[in-house]
Order: sequence, then C-alpha cells, then structure tokens
Amino acid sequence: MESYRRNFRAFLAFFTPSFAWLVLFFFVPLAIIWLYSFGENETITKIRVTWTLDNYRRLLEPEIVSLFWRSVWLSVLSTAICIVIAYPIAMVIATAKPKWKPWLLLVIILPFWTNLLIRTYALLNILGTRGRLNDLLHWLWSMGDGALAALGLGDLQLLGERFVPVKFLGEPAGVMIGLIYVYLPFAVLPIYASLERLDRSYLEASLDLGASQWRTFRQILLPLSSGGINTAMVITFIPMLGSFLIPDLLGRGQVDMIANVIERQFKSGNDWPFGSALSLFLLYVTFILLALQSFAAMRQRRREEARG
Amino acid sequence: MSETAPPIISVQNVTKRFGSFTALENITLDIRPGEIFALLGPSGCGKSTLLRIIAGLETATEGHIMIDGQDMAGIPANKRPVNMVFQSYAVFPHMSVADNVAYGLKLERLPKPEIAAKVEEALAQVHLSDFAHRKPDQLSGGQRQRVALARALVKRPKVLLLDEPLSALDAKLRDAMRLELVKLQESVGVSFVIVTHDQSEALAMADRIAVLEAGRLRQLDTPAGLYKQPVDRFVADFIGSINMFAVIGQHDGATQAETTLETAELGRVRVSSARLPASGQGGLVLAVRPERVKLADAPPESADAIAVAGHLGDVAFQGNSSIAEILLAGGASLAALVSEKEADRLMQAESGSPVTAWWRADDMLILPENALSSGG
Repeated sequence: MESYRRNFRAFLAFFTPSFAWLVLFFFVPLAIIWLYSFGENETITKIRVTWTLDNYRRLLEPEIVSLFWRSVWLSVLSTAICIVIAYPIAMVIATAKPKWKPWLLLVIILPFWTNLLIRTYALLNILGTRGRLNDLLHWLWSMGDGALAALGLGDLQLLGERFVPVKFLGEPAGVMIGLIYVYLPFAVLPIYASLERLDRSYLEASLDLGASQWRTFRQILLPLSSGGINTAMVITFIPMLGSFLIPDLLGRGQVDMIANVIERQFKSGNDWPFGSALSLFLLYVTFILLALQSFAAMRQRRREEARG
Repeated sequence: MSETAPPIISVQNVTKRFGSFTALENITLDIRPGEIFALLGPSGCGKSTLLRIIAGLETATEGHIMIDGQDMAGIPANKRPVNMVFQSYAVFPHMSVADNVAYGLKLERLPKPEIAAKVEEALAQVHLSDFAHRKPDQLSGGQRQRVALARALVKRPKVLLLDEPLSALDAKLRDAMRLELVKLQESVGVSFVIVTHDQSEALAMADRIAVLEAGRLRQLDTPAGLYKQPVDRFVADFIGSINMFAVIGQHDGATQAETTLETAELGRVRVSSARLPASGQGGLVLAVRPERVKLADAPPESADAIAVAGHLGDVAFQGNSSIAEILLAGGASLAALVSEKEADRLMQAESGSPVTAWWRADDMLILPENALSSGG
C-alpha cells in the first residue's frame, strides 16, 4: 500500500488518467448539477444561479411526493421479491457439484451479455396484451374452462365468459416484472458468495443438535448469510430506484419513476434547475443507503476478523 | 466399562462408496458403553466418514448402524441419540455461549428455568461459567472447543462423537485437553468416539483403538495390544516407532518347529515356526521396537539373541533418553532407545566406531505385510 511513495512516477502514470477522467466527467458535471439545483431559468436556454431553495421546496409538492413514494414502493417490493427468488437459486448453485458451478453461474450472468434495451424490448413482446405471457394464460384459461365444462360446470362461467387478457404494460405489475427480471442476477451473486463461504458444519451441527431443516434454515443459515442478503438488497434496490428505461418502456408513461421525471425536466420540461434538484435528492438517498450498508458490512467484517 | 454389556453402538458390515471410490469397506465393530473409542488412521482412511455415518450426516451404502440396540436406518441426524463435536467446532458465531449451549435444549421444548439450569451446569462442567454471555469471537480456540463440548453433552447423548477434537489446538493446549477430555468422559460416563490421525493421542486417551487404512479395518485392540501385538507391518509402523527388516527368503529349519528367515540386514535368523503369522498377504517383515534394542561391544553369548554389527551414527537427545542411530552394512540403519547414562557414553565415542546391536528373539515381531487376507 505504501509503495506509491517509493515509485512516485509510476504511481502518477497510473493515477493521472483515471483521476482526470473522474474529475472531468464526474466531479465537474456533478458540481454543475449541484449549482443548477440552486438556480432559476432566466430565459429558455439560460440558467442563473440565485441560491434559491425553490427547487428543493418543490420536492414537497404532492405529485413529486407521490412520485417518490411510487418509486420507493415499487423498488422495495421488487427488491424483496428479487431476494426471495434469488435465495433458492443461490442455494442451488452453492450446493451444486463443483464442476457444475461455473456453468450455473454463467447462466445467471448470461443476460448481461445482451443490451438492456434489447432485453426490455423482448419483455414488451412477452408482457403485451397479445404477448407470450397472455398466450400462456389464455391457454391455461381454456384448459381450465374445458375441465370445468367436462365436469358439467361449464354453464356457471366460473372463469368468465371469455378470456380477458391481463394488462401488464402501463401497470405497476409490468414494471415490477421488468425490474425483477433485470436485477435478479445482482441479487443472486452476493447471496451465492456468502453461502459459498459458509462453513457447512454449522448446518450439520444444528441438525446434529436436533433442529429440523426449517429451523436450521431460519436460525442458522439465514442469520449467517445476512451479509450477502444485505449486499443483495442494496445493489438491487439502488439501481431499481434510479431505473429509467424499464418504467419508460414497460410503464408506458403510466408508471413513472423518479428517473422518468428527471429526464422530462431536462428535455420536454426544460426545467434544468428542478431536474438537478431531483437528481441530487436521488443521489443523497442513495448515499445514505450505501452508508448504512457499509456500516453493516463493517460490523460483519469485524466479527469475522475477530473469529480469525 | 463392561466387556459383557451389549454394545452401545454396533457398526455392522458398513460400506460407503462415493461414485467409484470406496471410502469404507465392510467395517464391523462394536463400541462399548462408557469407553473412549478411537478411530485412528492416516488422512483419507475413512475414519471421519464412519463417524459421520454414525451421526447420520452421511448414509452408508451398505450395512447397518445400531445405537443402543436400535437400527438407525432411515433415522436422520436430528433424531439420533448421539451428538457430535465438529473439527471446526461449528460454534454458532451469531449466538452467545449460553445460547449455543441452549440451542439443542430449546428444541426439546423444556421449560425455560430448566434450560437455564442445564446450561449453567454444562458450562460449569467445562469451566466456562464466566463466559456465558460472551460471543464466540471473544473466545480462544480452546474455549470454543469447550463450548462445542458443552453444547453436545447438555443433550445427554448416548455417545459423544468427536471429530479430530484436538487438531486445531496448539501443542501445549492439546496435551492439557487430552487429560481434560478423559476426565470429562469419566465424569459424564457416556462413550466417546474420537476420530484422530495422531497415534500418540489415541494411545494416550482411548480404551480401545480401531486402526483404519484405505477404508478397511486393520486392527481393533487396546493401546497396549496394538503396540505389543500389531497384526501387520502397517499397524506396527503407524503405532509408535519400530525397526523393520524385509524377509527376502524363507527356509525350513533343522526341525519342523523351526524356520529360517533371511533378511538383507540381519542375514539368516532362526525363529520358531509357531510364531509365523497364520494369515496375511505380501511378504514378511521382522520388526523390533527401539527400546528392545541393546548395544554392546561384542555379540552376546545367549543363544536366543539376535545380533547385528554396525557403526554408531547420530545420537538424538530426547531428555531422559536418547535415540541412537546404528548404521548397518548396505546403507540401512537401526534405531535404539538408550538411557541417559548410555547416551553420555555414546556421545563420547567417536562417530562411526563399531558397535553391536542385539535383542532377544522373543522381542522381535514377525509380521505380514498386510494382515487382511484379500486385497484392499
């Protein structure tokens, strides 16, 4: 760690490009946004920084509050469902035979090799009223209806007179399916890593002491993999909260999340100061969550270190 | 310990295969109530697998495990009347010491005061009463092991299974824990089954030892029995140290009662035919423990002495005794345990000076390469 003192030039050679990149394309734009958030539109194209707090005050407007509320509950619910789906997947991979593990992990990572835009368009095709998912539901409906008719209950129309396609697009359900689908790998990997590290004799000891499989899961496996769950929650929740493309395409303008409104301020709304304030607010929320997460991780690490 | 009481654990013809690999082959042995029983063998011999089969953490491919007369087939680990101390101790890191010990009791739905009393008693037994509210990360390795012991013993198992209980401790603590484990076993009275690769540990602690090698039971005996009467070369070599000479020729002796064995190092040795092993495979070896080897300037007159001339090599000081190395013709060497006084004398002597090593024929073992009759 201290070697940069001894080899200062080599250190500079490696450090300068990345530092310059960070300053030019991250810190400077961020500073501009920060300044804009205290600004006012003077003309259509000119913004004057007047240190007004109006832009931040507008965050409390009912529409914006309800927008934040919608973004948060969509992300919380999607994160929770993601974790519930990811945990068994991670368990299967962690307990698979060693020769299978790389392949199973590959299957999890494989979607990353396709552009997000293309994957989301594929979801449009699946989730539409005439999409694949509704085709499947229609098929299930006709099977059920046929079965009821065969039982002589056909006249009661228990499943409705005819199949009504379920509307996913433009509904929160569709956006959530998209969010879960896209961010599931982010949830699987950290949980897998924590299960992989876990000494299996903890589970065996629990069984040996008379605990059932379920109790062993609840009282030993779950607490001991909480670090992985914690990480999984943060790294799925944060990008979900700021996601733009998925609600834009699958929400059809009906299920806006924060990023969609931010985008509108910079484009059609032409209200850069308010867009900046929204962006920074999202950034602050993210920072707070990250701080909480790393605090929890630090405590976990300290516990592990002390254990030797 | 009783030799006539029915066994507390009976391992019957247990075979375990992992794919094409046979980890255990047709193991049959009984563990008596109240004894310390050691499963001893080099790593990979299957001893831990056998322990895990008894605990119910692995299933035998063939054979049966009876615990207290009850067949354990189909009974999972959490329903078996045995408990285990794991090699890594597996003390739950997110629970306090007291909660760890109470874990198994809470599952029995005992009233809370009773659990608290039992936990307190178990912690007192392993001298951890003052540590009840600590977390495992605040304990030393030895203390964590005692938590694991208390956690298993508080369940009042019929047998306590210990997987390499001392291997994770440093040398000094290990010696102290040996004694402590034996004392603990005496006070609780249940049988201990200890898996170990350390023969000195098994000799010091166990009432009986099963020596396993490559998944097969080589010998089951008391420590003294294994040391004095090893059944074959492997056991003799594994338990304590021993000098061995391969037999390269076998001839009829002058009478029926006598056989002449030929070795490269000792030449021809006459032995009583009755002492030849009855069964086994591979060649024979002659073996003698270093403490039976005596040193002299000239061969002794005695008729039943076996003597070999050599030169004095290194003398390794071991405190109250020393090991003298005798270099034999042909590059072989022989170890002799010598007293402190004799070691002083040998150290004065010049290295390489001629010396005669000898021992009584009765002190020499005649062992087959492998006592098992079929290949393993």
